[in-house]
Amino acid sequence: MKIQHYLVRFYPHTWRERYEDELLAMLEQRSLSFTDGVNLFFGALDAQLHPHLGTTGMSLYERIIYMFARLRRSLLTIFCAYIGFILAGLAFQKMTEYDDFVEAARTHSIVGLSFNLVVIGAVVALLAVLAGGLPIAVAVIRSALAQKRRGPLLLLAVPVLAFAVFLGTTFLLEALHRPGNHLSPVWQLFLDRGVFFGTLIAAAIASAGSVCFAVARSEISEKLLRFAVLPSILATISMSLVLAATIIWGLGLRDGVPQLFAGHDGLVGSSTTGTWLGIVIAMAIATMLAAVSLLRGLSARSALRNAAA
Amino acid sequence: MEDIEAFAGVHLGPGTLYGAIARLETQGLIEPLEAYERRRPYRLTATGIAFLQKQLTGLETFASMGLQRLASR
Repeated sequence: MKIQHYLVRFYPHTWRERYEDELLAMLEQRSLSFTDGVNLFFGALDAQLHPHLGTTGMSLYERIIYMFARLRRSLLTIFCAYIGFILAGLAFQKMTEYDDFVEAARTHSIVGLSFNLVVIGAVVALLAVLAGGLPIAVAVIRSALAQKRRGPLLLLAVPVLAFAVFLGTTFLLEALHRPGNHLSPVWQLFLDRGVFFGTLIAAAIASAGSVCFAVARSEISEKLLRFAVLPSILATISMSLVLAATIIWGLGLRDGVPQLFAGHDGLVGSSTTGTWLGIVIAMAIATMLAAVSLLRGLSARSALRNAAA
Repeated sequence: MEDIEAFAGVHLGPGTLYGAIARLETQGLIEPLEAYERRRPYRLTATGIAFLQKQLTGLETFASMGLQRLASR
């Protein structure tokens, strides 16, 4: 298969159904240059960000249903990105709670200011997610009660159960640490890192997945989803702010307290630089995912409004 | 792509070209005709003609005003 066939696969399914054949027919008439290949890739990215492109073959009703599904998927992706971002934020919070970091924030203005920005951004992002998500959660519960379906209610209970399991695991690990319990270093390492982080990540995945599944299978009004885009914008901006502040925090720490930055005060005694870099990469991926989904959501929202007009 | 390159002297990449076609079609300014050997020609719709007329008239006014100002210098 030629390279252009692979590149065209980056386009959304609906777009390909409408234009793939004629585009490939045009491309097959000449050899694809490197710049044309790059251009095709960016064209696919553009089509991914604008899901209404390529829907002209659909009826008005089909288009509205399609855009509604794209909008819902975009919002759920932002929610999942936020959960991923929270995990990275928890790692940052855990690392910076030690006295050395508190002292660095107190004595070095850039470290202190950027840390405060991280806290402010995190609070604003949380409020934005709650503002957009709670009305949707209420709609899921109402829809489940009206249709007498237990499934969505059970799915919404998963985050609470997952948190309880995580707390239970934490208590269990603490109990195993009590004097008198002699564990081999290998078991200790497995319990401290493997079980703790494994349970945390599994709980986050189960929570996000179940909430997404519940929302995807419930009747949510278009008005509610369109409203949720506004808090999503705020959440994405806040995530970007926290990411920028975390980067500045690390750079400030490197300049202000280089011995701390180069030391081994990261998570579970790992390298501080490595932990910081890991947190920044995780936050950057989550923010990028949220930003891309937000653009898709905005495009779908605009197309929905035009279709309804 | 070759047609555009020949008359405008601009190389339009396939992604840019089909991005423009998809947008123009979504806005109802062009419409597809019957495909011929997998190639699909497009034509302007009535809305597209009116829109293009308006744009070209605006450009014509702008260009003639610019030329007049240059001539009076």
